Amino acid sequence: MASMIMASSKPVITVVASSSKPKHQKIPQLSLPKIPTPKFLKIQQVPTLKSISLLTLTSLSFAPPSLAAEIEKAALFDFNLTLPIMMVQFLLLMFALDKVYFTPLGKFMDERDSAIKEKLSSVKDTSEEVKQLEEQANSIMRAARAEISAALNKMKKETQLEVEQKLAEGRKKVEAELQEALANLENQKEETIKSLDSQIAALSQDIVKKVLPL
Amino acid sequence: MNGISCSINALNGLYDISGVEVGQHFYWQIGGFQVHAQVLITSWVVIAILLGSAIIAVRNPQTIPTAGQNFFEYVLEFIRDVSKTQIGEEYGPWVPFIGTMFLFIFVSNWSGALLPWKIIQLPHGELAAPTNDINTTVALALLTSVAYFYAGLSKKGLGYFSKYIQPTPILLPINILEDFTKPLSLSFRLFGNILADELVVVVLVSLVPSVVPIPVMFLGLFTSGIQALIFATLAAAYIGESMEGHH
Repeated sequence: MASMIMASSKPVITVVASSSKPKHQKIPQLSLPKIPTPKFLKIQQVPTLKSISLLTLTSLSFAPPSLAAEIEKAALFDFNLTLPIMMVQFLLLMFALDKVYFTPLGKFMDERDSAIKEKLSSVKDTSEEVKQLEEQANSIMRAARAEISAALNKMKKETQLEVEQKLAEGRKKVEAELQEALANLENQKEETIKSLDSQIAALSQDIVKKVLPL
Repeated sequence: MNGISCSINALNGLYDISGVEVGQHFYWQIGGFQVHAQVLITSWVVIAILLGSAIIAVRNPQTIPTAGQNFFEYVLEFIRDVSKTQIGEEYGPWVPFIGTMFLFIFVSNWSGALLPWKIIQLPHGELAAPTNDINTTVALALLTSVAYFYAGLSKKGLGYFSKYIQPTPILLPINILEDFTKPLSLSFRLFGNILADELVVVVLVSLVPSVVPIPVMFLGLFTSGIQALIFATLAAAYIGESMEGHH
């Protein structure tokens, strides 16, 4: 595989290099690895890097040929101290983000998940609780209804008694008045009878005197 | 002939305006070594964005998440999902590595596409996504290599190296070669995609400054996201591969 790629890329390099002779002298100036990079990187990349940077250089200078001189050497594959600094920065960022983001928020989310699960699993128990509560409510309602009906009955009885008492009182009063009136009438009758008796005696004497002249 | 020189002049003007700068760096000297300052500056901005937003959103977690916390929870679940599918049940300890890999590459790529870096003028070179520098991508790829070696060795001890002669010892060279091709392909894929994407946008903007580059910019956003996902997924896959048992 690798040899095939190399084989296919070689002619391109030679063609490009031969087609741009004047720039060929510039190539050594391309600042490729300046600081010692890991060995394997160097061995692997130097040929390909050179060809790629060469390609970009030639393609950039291809459109306006007169500008080629103005364009600076393009250091696309310029490895230097930036690489280890970026590594250290990344590791620091990783630890910092772990401290402020991944661990605290992850822990928080897990705890919330488990709490929600717990609550969900305890829902079955609450359904029984709900039944109990409903029964309790029903019994309370029944008791209240009974109490209310008892109170109502009691009140009804009381009022009935009162009404009867008052009725009886009224009746007594009426009877007493009736009696009195009757007694009065009797008195008056007797009086009139008495007065009539005395008048009858006088009248009979008058009649006797007139009929039997002495 | 005249026409050609005319067009060359026009192109010259365009080049002055667009200022396509490829492979030019703003160098700092640190103890006799050179570093690419533009890469470091943009990576600091990316790190600041990541840490700042994470701290603000996760500072005080609520049982019913707020908008920011919800987003970060979604991202964390996404990362966990990726790690779990690639690594398997023992994905827990690798979530920070995979997650940081994904977030750093993703925010780097999108910062190159969305943040107006070009406003800030540098003495030389220009600010762009940190991932369009080969140093960054190779650093991340090498860390991935270290990570999967560490995963395999810590899981199986020296028995890890028996995978090189499986299924047959004939494949030994290919298996060894894989250890070099993995970081190489990881780093060059990311580097090439991001650099090419930015170049396409810059060249299109220099040629047709309005409307036309917009679809390409959206394509760039899409590609950037995909590249971050691919890098993180492959890193997780390599780690999972070195941890799984060989039958």
